[in-house]
Formats: sequence, structure tokens, C-alpha cells
Amino acid sequence: MMCGRAIISRAAPLLACLGLLGVWQIGALILNTDSFPTAWEAIRAIPSIVGDKESLINILASLRRMAIGFGVGVIVSIPLGLMMGRSRGVASFFNPLLMVIYPVPKAALMPIIMLWLGIGDVAKTLVIFLGVSLPVIYHSFQGAKAVEEKMLWSGAAMGLSAAERMIRIVLPAALPEILTGCRTGLVLALITMVTSEMIARQSGAGNILFNALDMGQYETVYAMIIIIGGMGIGLDAAFENLRGRLVRWSEPGFEIPVSFA
Amino acid sequence: MKVVPSRPNLEAEFAPARRQANPMIVIDRVSHVFRTSGRQHHLALSDISLAIDDGAFVSILGPSGCGKSTLLYVVGGFVSPTEGVARMKGRAITGPGPDRGPVFQEFALFPWKSVLGNVMYGPRQQGVKSAEAEAQSRALIEMVGLKGFENFYPKELSGGMKQRVALARTLAYHPAVLLMDEPFGALDAHTRTRLQNDLLNIWERDRKTVLFVTHSVDEAVFLSDKVVVMTRAPGQIKQVVEIDLPRPRRRSELLLDPRYQKYVVEIESMIDDTSEERLRP
Repeated sequence: MMCGRAIISRAAPLLACLGLLGVWQIGALILNTDSFPTAWEAIRAIPSIVGDKESLINILASLRRMAIGFGVGVIVSIPLGLMMGRSRGVASFFNPLLMVIYPVPKAALMPIIMLWLGIGDVAKTLVIFLGVSLPVIYHSFQGAKAVEEKMLWSGAAMGLSAAERMIRIVLPAALPEILTGCRTGLVLALITMVTSEMIARQSGAGNILFNALDMGQYETVYAMIIIIGGMGIGLDAAFENLRGRLVRWSEPGFEIPVSFA
Repeated sequence: MKVVPSRPNLEAEFAPARRQANPMIVIDRVSHVFRTSGRQHHLALSDISLAIDDGAFVSILGPSGCGKSTLLYVVGGFVSPTEGVARMKGRAITGPGPDRGPVFQEFALFPWKSVLGNVMYGPRQQGVKSAEAEAQSRALIEMVGLKGFENFYPKELSGGMKQRVALARTLAYHPAVLLMDEPFGALDAHTRTRLQNDLLNIWERDRKTVLFVTHSVDEAVFLSDKVVVMTRAPGQIKQVVEIDLPRPRRRSELLLDPRYQKYVVEIESMIDDTSEERLRP
């Protein structure tokens, strides 16, 4: 019985995907317009994109920018967020700044950034960096703020200095929250990656998509959407796996009731 | 029953030399003011003086909000008093240190570390080699009755077990003084009794100095050599009661002992007095 349920819950995401494709297929067949190819036509176009050397270089360039933007974003944002969470002074300095940046769509900054830095890698990576930073800063901040004072006192009594407490107590204690921020940041990195390429049309996955749109190659447009969506799902799943391993100790499902003492 | 006046004369405390000539901890005219939100001030400790002998088990007893925990935090170096000074072995306390080991009601374990990892944390920080720290920690874990749970994470343990880990974690770095902040306050009655017994057994082995904050009269009398009764805020010492009961103490014998009962009733009436003081306009 448990086994059957386990199989169903494992297969559920796959079934959901197949269901979505099925609805798409039927919808496209009913509407029957050029601008809305069937799911099958879109899927058939995928191998030619992935097999094409130039497209592949474009997609890999996108992923490289995304990786750099995400990596730098995380490296800068985690320490900043943690310091904001533990120091009222740092928090009250950065909070208003972040409040101003927060509601601005990062892609809307793209034209200005392009004026300064051109349409190359640097401008696009910077936009991705900005997109990643805010959720990571916010969650690191919340995580650090929630660290129990007594836990830090226990560390201080063992002889940990303020800097050691930050790295060896605040960081691990806030890790579950930090990684939640990173997960959101990763998805936002993918989104800003595509939108940045949509505005600065030079290379990348977004560029392939919008060029195809201009030329009326609708199968390619939808195939690219599937590819980008697939990348998103793959990256998110990989990150979830990593996160699960790193913070296994905090998972609610990990709670095994022990009755003793 | 010996009842020491509320402001113990430090000279008199030094002189009799119950165990040693110099007390382990001296709290000298300590006051502490909390600044609450807005411009409100809250006087948590008001001109407190107290001496604690080496190897003594001293409880600080009082109603909630009387500043008893704050007094413990001052000794721990976690809170700097607004006025006065706390000294340990004659040296002013300026911050936390491994000579004073806290055990908190909230356990404050490191949730990302296993039981063994938590207990080993202090010794490793003190520079003890990994293998040696592990051997010592395993022995301590066994002593607090958690053999077999070395690789469990705090999340997997019950409250009583967590507090056992917290005690082992603090004992692991050999503090000269144990600072226990209502350690059994969050536990059910049965677990509480078991931990009290086990704590006494552990304490009888090496007789560390213990400063134990509690609001339970029974607990204070059962465990302590001396009970410091505090009044409701602004926190002052009402009386210091010496508990002259034989050791090792057995709960079953003690509960039937009229002397024990007398201490409990006496101290309870003191606390009732302090509650009434609060009600006066």
C-alpha cells in the first residue's frame, strides 16, 4: 500500500507534464492556427535546436552568464544579509536602499545598464546578479535575525569570537533559510537571463527565441520555451537535491519521535 | 534554620571559610537597568551583593520577572551590569568564558550537529585533539544516560534528552562554574524529577560550583546548599537560606524529612510575602 502510494507520488510530476502537453496538443488542433503549433510539432523541433552548434553555443553562453551572475550574487548577498540580520546599524543602512530597488523589475534597468556597459556579457550578467541578490539578501537577513541569542551565548562561553560565531553559528543556523532564498534566486536568475537577452539581442537562449518569433518560426519559439522551462525544472530539482542534503537536520520529515527520558 | 539577612555582609561571608578562604564568585553591588521600547526603563537588578563558595550548589529563587536570570547572565558575562561588578576568583567578569558554562531552559543546542558533534564542540574549540575530544564526549554522553544516541540530531530528541545533551556539552569543556538558567523549566514533572536526580548524582562526583536559577521551591531546596530568595522587581535579595540537609540526598527520603518540609514551607511563605508587596499601591 505504502509502495503504491510512493509510486504515485513519484510519477505525479511526470503525469502533470504529460497532461499539460495533452491539453496543449488538443488545444492547438482545435484552434488550428500557424502561430500556435501543436505540442508534438514543438517537441519535434527540439533536436534540431540542440543539435545545431550555433544554438548550443548560444544556450551555453546564456547558462555561463547565469552561473556567474548567480554565483557572484550569492557570494555577495549571503554575508550582507547575515550582517544585516545581526547588526541593527547595518540593517538600518541597507534596508532603505533595498526597499527602493526591490519593486523595480530588474530587466527595466537593462536599457540604462546597456548605456553604461554595452550589450555584452557584463551588462547581462549584472542584471542577473541584481535579480539574484534581493531574495538571497532577504532570506539571509531573516535567517540570521531568527538565530537564538542563547545559541550564540553558548558559543561565546566556549570561547568563539564574534567573527567565529558569525561563520560557525549564524551561518549554519541560518542555512535552511539562506538556501530557500538561493532557490528563489536561481529561478529569478533564469528569468532575468532570458529577459536580458530579449532586450539586448546579441546572443543567448532568449535571442534564439525572439529571432525565431521575428521570422515566424513558431515551432522553434515553442521548442525554446520547452527547453528553457526544462532547464528551469532541471536546475531547480538539482538545487533542491543539494539543499535537502545540506540541511537534512532541519527537515520536518526528518523528525522521528523518540520517547525516552 | 539559619537565615542570613538580605544584604549579606561580605566580610562575614569571607570569614567563616566554610570550604575555602575565598569565594568562587562575588557579586558586588550589582544593578542592572533594561531600556525597553520607547524611553521606559526597567530596573531588573537593584544593588545585589552575594558571595558563592567554591563547590557550592546555590539556587536563585524568585517569581518570574524578578531578575534572577539577569543575575545569572551577569555572572556569565552575557550581560554587562549597569552598576557594580561581578568577580570570579577575584577577577572582574567582562565577558563570557569557558570557565563559566551555561545551560539554558531553551537548550540552545546546535541543530546542525549530532549529539556527539554538539558535545565535542567545546573541547574542539579549546584545541583538544579530535580523537581525544571524541573519547571524552562519548564518556560524557554515557554519563548523562544517552549512550546509543550519539549520532542523533537535536530535532530527533525529546526535551529531557535535549537538556541532557546540553548539560554534557557544557560539562565537556570543564567549566569551573555551571550556570543553569531554569534548565528543567520546560520539562514535564516526571522528566524534571529524573533530571534533578541525575544532576545531583553527576554533581556529587566532582562538586563543581553551581548557580541554579529556578522558580520551583522544591527544586531549589532539594538541590541546593544555599537558596537565594529574590523579591519581585525591582530585583533585590530578600533572604539567603542555608539548606542544612545531609548529602547524598535521596528524593524518597528527603520528601519525608520534616526539615526538608520546613524549608519548603518557610521559603514558600517568603515568596508569598513578596507577591503581596507587589499588590500594595
